[in-house]
Amino acid sequence: MPEEAIFRCDNPDCRVEETGKCVEGLALTECPHFGRTSPVIGEPPRVDEREDIPERGLRLPSGDRLTTSAAASVLRAGDAHLAAILGPTDSGKTSLIASLYDLFQEGSVEGLSFAGSRTLHAFEQACHDARAASRRVEPSIDRTRIGGVAFYHLVLGGINLGLLNLLLADRAGEEYRTLADEPSIGAGFVELTRADTLNVLVDGARLLDSGARHNVRSEVVMTLQALIDGNMAKPGQRVALVLTKFDAIAESPLQKRVESDFNALLLSVRRLFGNSYGTVEPFQTAASPKSMAVKRGFGVAALLRFWLNQRLAQIPSLNAAPPASKRAIGRLTVLDI
Amino acid sequence: MEERSIAICGLPGSGKTTFLAALWHLVTSREIDTALRFDSLRNGDASHLNAIAARWRNAMVQDRTTMGANRLVSMRLVNTAGTRVRLTFPDVSGEAFRQIWEERDCDVTVADMLRSGEVLLFVHADTIQAPRWVVEDTSLVRQLGLTTVEGEEVTWHPKLAPTQVQLVDLLQLLRKPPLDIGPRRLAVILSAWDKVIAEGMLPEELLEVKLPLLKQYLNQQSDGWVWTAYGLSAQGGDYDRLDPNTPLSSEAQAIRELDSASTRIRLVGNGRESHDLTEPLVWLLE
Repeated sequence: MPEEAIFRCDNPDCRVEETGKCVEGLALTECPHFGRTSPVIGEPPRVDEREDIPERGLRLPSGDRLTTSAAASVLRAGDAHLAAILGPTDSGKTSLIASLYDLFQEGSVEGLSFAGSRTLHAFEQACHDARAASRRVEPSIDRTRIGGVAFYHLVLGGINLGLLNLLLADRAGEEYRTLADEPSIGAGFVELTRADTLNVLVDGARLLDSGARHNVRSEVVMTLQALIDGNMAKPGQRVALVLTKFDAIAESPLQKRVESDFNALLLSVRRLFGNSYGTVEPFQTAASPKSMAVKRGFGVAALLRFWLNQRLAQIPSLNAAPPASKRAIGRLTVLDI
Repeated sequence: MEERSIAICGLPGSGKTTFLAALWHLVTSREIDTALRFDSLRNGDASHLNAIAARWRNAMVQDRTTMGANRLVSMRLVNTAGTRVRLTFPDVSGEAFRQIWEERDCDVTVADMLRSGEVLLFVHADTIQAPRWVVEDTSLVRQLGLTTVEGEEVTWHPKLAPTQVQLVDLLQLLRKPPLDIGPRRLAVILSAWDKVIAEGMLPEELLEVKLPLLKQYLNQQSDGWVWTAYGLSAQGGDYDRLDPNTPLSSEAQAIRELDSASTRIRLVGNGRESHDLTEPLVWLLE
């Protein structure tokens, strides 16, 4: 049997066996270490000794989205806000999350500053298709795949805020869509019952569509109804009704009709569910506009301010004791995904 | 004798080896007064430092083999109070930092180096990769009357992340297990300062404008870094390549013509400008 070609190098720092590349950036034919094996000193170790050899590298935190249990740890550790973002497929959930992170790439937002994140890889991946590095000619955002909820994480700081963890729940639109069919499945949607704010996305592009506009309004009402009937809505929970893709609306001759539809929807939600939720506020966003007609991230900062408004009033200083008894963690079920 | 350690960090090509070369020349030549002075060569191997300092004096770039390895170099110095200090610099290769960000993996040896002492973080001030967005680039292309090219989409890879994101992540990881050793002092060294000096900014202002995410992170103190920033031109300009077929540049030749090689060095920070590369070290050791 022929042997497989194996890259070898006597530089212990070189990973050419795994990567096929010289650690010193040289062509393999030019590297003086390539093709040589490290000298063996003494007898080879016995099998049981080999098993004790530690792994070569230390694994570092992945930078990916947090699992529910990791999110629970964040909530348990101190002040935090959990924002659940609900909407059907392609309504703009990931765009909203990505654009919020991207705003901090250019500086503070609404007096709030970036202070850290455990999910930088995930944020970067979410932003990629709207970034020039993707070499796209039109921004795009990869949709969240079915597979349960996961959390993006930011630490934000501000003069009246101290430091606060912000968790953004991310779940595929297909999973939320089934809520209105069977509210009981929502019992497994831990982010909804634990959320400090529910952000219900209203797809602006679908409101522009004469056929789809009525279904859009119906879906929002039925989703909020399902949260109540499935015992997922909690007294005092605040709702943001978010009209997305405002760039497409602003460039359309149907803008007035869309805005009228949205206002009518807002009035319906307040009338039907005003007693069940703390407050219902409207927002317009263009998280990842496809043209320069509307500024990138339009309306996202205002939404962030809405999320944190209560916190800004409640948290007097950086050294405030964690309000453990009031924390959302007390209501959070730990589930590993 | 006091023993102290300063970890040298930075992405590939950020000026770490050039700093060590210039520092070794500065303290051993004794051409100008410095806050930390040379003590002796006793009990040490200065061959690596001598080699990189020789290239620096010749205004030649450091070769990639020299820069690609993780090294532990040390210098015996004495401070203005007369206290002797053996200063160790774990010089971690840029490749190791690439591996940390992209592969979320850290060699055990590198981890030991990163867990030692205070931190010098090098950032090449003239090669900062800022985030850019499709919608803005496409608009610019159209305004210029150029055509956009479709079908060349690039899939995501961590290496495409903006410089400031990679730096924030590195600093965060240094404050989390398995690399955390508690709060540390951090000096951010903006290298190739001569390339950006025309922009008329102080080091902290450049951080604000070109690395705002990093500046926010440091200002918010969420990981407890006690930090300051310097602008550093350790070469004084572009050096010649080692390749004998590459013609020598007039800029490198002008640098060689300076009577005192130490005056190539320009350090800006904490409200003053000097040639003294040991100032950031003194600040870190306070």
